[in-house]
Amino acid sequence: MLLERIVSALADLVAASESIDDEWIYVHDLETVWVARLRAVGAERTMDPPAGAAAAIGALIDEAHRIADPHRAIDWLSTLPQAALVAIGEDAW
Amino acid sequence: MRFQDAAKDARAVVYAGIQADPLVWRLADLLADATAAQRVLARAVMNGESSDVEAWRVMFPSLFVVSAGVAAVNPERTLSQSILAASLEVAARGDQVRSQFRGAIVEALTERLLARRVPASSIHRERRILFDGVAAEIHPYDVTVEAPGAAEAYDCKWGARGISADVLHQLYDARAHAADEGERVLPVLVVFDARRSCEVRLARHTAPRTGTRLVSLESLDRIAGRRPGRTS
Repeated sequence: MLLERIVSALADLVAASESIDDEWIYVHDLETVWVARLRAVGAERTMDPPAGAAAAIGALIDEAHRIADPHRAIDWLSTLPQAALVAIGEDAW
Repeated sequence: MRFQDAAKDARAVVYAGIQADPLVWRLADLLADATAAQRVLARAVMNGESSDVEAWRVMFPSLFVVSAGVAAVNPERTLSQSILAASLEVAARGDQVRSQFRGAIVEALTERLLARRVPASSIHRERRILFDGVAAEIHPYDVTVEAPGAAEAYDCKWGARGISADVLHQLYDARAHAADEGERVLPVLVVFDARRSCEVRLARHTAPRTGTRLVSLESLDRIAGRRPGRTS
């Protein structure tokens, strides 16, 4: 469930990035692969998130929502899932 | 095949000032000793908006938590705090300068890691590689290892988005032209981003990359000849 909140935030970052026409395909491909990775991790996990994970995910989503610049949003499309995976104690890749 | 310093045009002079900034070297030193998770922290902060130290600590609890049985002051937490502080200094420089700093940090980090594997005297910055009968590339290589029979040429990028056809061609050409002269050059693309994102970027390129090694955020320690660790 925590990771689904990140999936939703990634969609917001995609929306923030879409004004960069040249990167439209890259942006959507990034979203596709990272959503697949996050959902695969979510499906395989059997343990509860570590202490602080829920607050971390909330803070990461807040940070994603601060990003208005489309170029920065593209950077965050790759950064947010890595940070979220670290927050829940998973390998970031 | 021979190596040559790049011409010092106006852009190069400005960028050289950034490359020499103590903050670039401080971060490179910190990141050379960092875990993969700490490198993700640095990437997030230097890509982020928030300047609130506490907010970043909440986002990366495993790097800052004080738990039972663990000393309140320990080397890993101290390193995390130093990385966070230095990364926030870069983020505070403003968009354009921040972008230049980030690129310079990846170059300096690459140089630091290389120095753990090869003699420092063989490592150079901003160098061109010249081949007989071949027009010189416009852009120099960010870092080179100049050793007889074992040369290496590095292009360093902050993010996967920086991977372009021009970069891939230049790296590939170094290897191909060297081979034409019976020499060896290992071309390496260093990207301070996850391999997954790099592969997305590379999938859309048709530029040749046979023989070009990709070093991404999770495998940076390979530059130093070490096996990469996990982030969790």
